[in-house]
Amino acid sequence: MSQHLGKAVVLRCPAGTSFQDEGRHGGAKYGIPSSGAMDQRSFRWANHLLKNFNTAVALEMAQPGLRIQFDQICHISLVGAKVMASLNQTPITNPSLIAIAGGDLLEVGKFLSGSRLYLCIQGGFQVERYLGSGSDFESITSPSIRSYPKVLSYIPIPQPSSLGAKPKWETSWFESPEIEAYHGADWALLSSAQQKLIHSSIFHVSKFSNRMGIQLEELVPNPLEDLPTNPVFPGTVQLTSGGKIIVLMRDAGVTGGYPRILHLTEDGQSKLAQKRVGDPIRFQLLETITG
Amino acid sequence: MIPNYQLLSPTFGELVWDQLPTDELLGFQLAYLTYIQSNFSDALTEARQGFTRISLVWKNPNNQQEFLAQVKNLQLPPMELSHAIWQVPVCYEPDYGQDLNSLAESKNLSLKELIQLHTEPNYRIHFFGFLPGFFYLNGLPPMLHAPRKSVPLLSVPPGSVAIGGAQTGIYPMQSPGGWHIIGRCPLTFFDSKQPSPVWAKPGEQIKFVPISAAQFQNWNELYPKLLRK
Repeated sequence: MSQHLGKAVVLRCPAGTSFQDEGRHGGAKYGIPSSGAMDQRSFRWANHLLKNFNTAVALEMAQPGLRIQFDQICHISLVGAKVMASLNQTPITNPSLIAIAGGDLLEVGKFLSGSRLYLCIQGGFQVERYLGSGSDFESITSPSIRSYPKVLSYIPIPQPSSLGAKPKWETSWFESPEIEAYHGADWALLSSAQQKLIHSSIFHVSKFSNRMGIQLEELVPNPLEDLPTNPVFPGTVQLTSGGKIIVLMRDAGVTGGYPRILHLTEDGQSKLAQKRVGDPIRFQLLETITG
Repeated sequence: MIPNYQLLSPTFGELVWDQLPTDELLGFQLAYLTYIQSNFSDALTEARQGFTRISLVWKNPNNQQEFLAQVKNLQLPPMELSHAIWQVPVCYEPDYGQDLNSLAESKNLSLKELIQLHTEPNYRIHFFGFLPGFFYLNGLPPMLHAPRKSVPLLSVPPGSVAIGGAQTGIYPMQSPGGWHIIGRCPLTFFDSKQPSPVWAKPGEQIKFVPISAAQFQNWNELYPKLLRK
C-alpha cells in the first residue's frame, strides 16, 4: 500500500503546529500525558465530514502561515477557527470541505475568530503511532512537523468524487463566555468566599497559555497549602499557591500538587481551546448527581 | 484503609484516602488498582494514581454507577510491596548540582552531611507523573525538606536529582523545574522505544549511590542494577 501513498509537502509551517488525534490512553502509569486535539469538538466534526474514524490524525494549527502542496487527489477539511484560506491563490469561501487535485497548493491566512484550526484529510495523515495515537509529544514522537520542508503521507482517493452538499461550519458555539465545569476533587477545601468568587467572576485568558495549560489573568486569594500530588487530567482547573488559575490542557502532566478546584466538560475544554488572549470567560457550574 | 468514592462527573470519580502517603496506603492503592483492572477494564477508559487518590474515567455513567455499588461493599487486603531495590548512581558535585551549596548552607549542613542524608534511605516509588518517567518517591528525611524555588529554572538538564518540598526526584528529560538541583544521574529514565518505557514499577524502591565526576563521565550503563530482588 505504501507505494500508493499520496504526498503533501509542507512548504511553510507556523510554530505550534502538530499532529493530533483523539489522544492516547494507557500511558498515565508511566507519566505520559493524554495529548490529542485541544478542541476535540472541531476535530471530530472535521473527521465526521470526511467519514474518518476519530483515530485519524490531523494537523493542529494555532497560527496562520501554513503552505502545503498535495500531489494526488484527496478530500480535506479545515475546521475549528474561522480563517482566510486559499487554494492555488484563489480564496476559498467555505473551507470546511475541499476537493483537492494533484498539485494543489493550500494556504492558511489570517485567523478571523478562534485559535485552533484542524486540517483533516480523508483516511488521516499516515504517521507513527505510540499507544495507539499519532499525537505529537516531545520525547514520545520525533519532532515531526517542525522540521520542514516535510513530506506528509496520506491515502489518495482513486478518482474525483462529488462532495455533495457543502456543510457550513459555525463558530458561534465558542463565542459565548460560558465554560461548563463540574466541581473539582478539592472544591470543598475552598472557603465560601472563594467559591462565590469563582462562581460569579468573569476571568480573562492570559498570554501564558499553550497546549499544557491556559492561565487566567485574575487571581483568587489562596491560603491553602499544596496537597499531596494526585491525578490531574485535561480540563482539571488548578489554583496555585500564588492564587493563579491554570486550566490544564491536553499536554499537561498526569499528576499535580495544587488544589483541583474545577473540572471542565469536554465541550468546555474545546470552547476554551478556541479562546484568544484577553477573551472573557465565566465558569458555568454543573451539578453531579450523587450515587 | 477503606477508601470513599467521590463522584466528580457522570463518568469521572476518585477513590479517596484521607491518610498521609505511606507504604501501607500504597499497598492498599495497588490492591484497588489491580482489582479494578481485573474486574472493570472493559468499563474503564483510564485509571490514574497519586499519593492519596486513584482517579477513574469511565466509558459511560452506568459503568461508574455499577462500580460505585460494588466498591461500597469492598474490603480488599493490601498488596505486599515489592522487595526490589534499584541502585541509582548520582554525582553530587557542584558542577552537576547547581543548588547543592546553597541548599547545604540554608540547612546548616556540610556537603558531606547533605549527601549522607540524601543517600541513606531507600525511597519508595509511588507512581509516575509530571513528566514521562518522573518518579514520585516517598522517604526524603525531614532535614532535607526545602520549599520550591519562587522562580523556576527555565531548563534543567536530564538526569538532574532535585529536592522540592518534602520530595526528591529525578528529571527524566530536559524541562523547566522549580526544585533545588543537588546532583545528576547518568542513567536513562524514559525510552519510548522500549516495550516498557520506564524500568521501575510502583512499589519498588530506589537507593541513591554517590559517584565521582570521573565515574559520571565514563558511565556506560543506561539502566541501574538491582541491589535486592
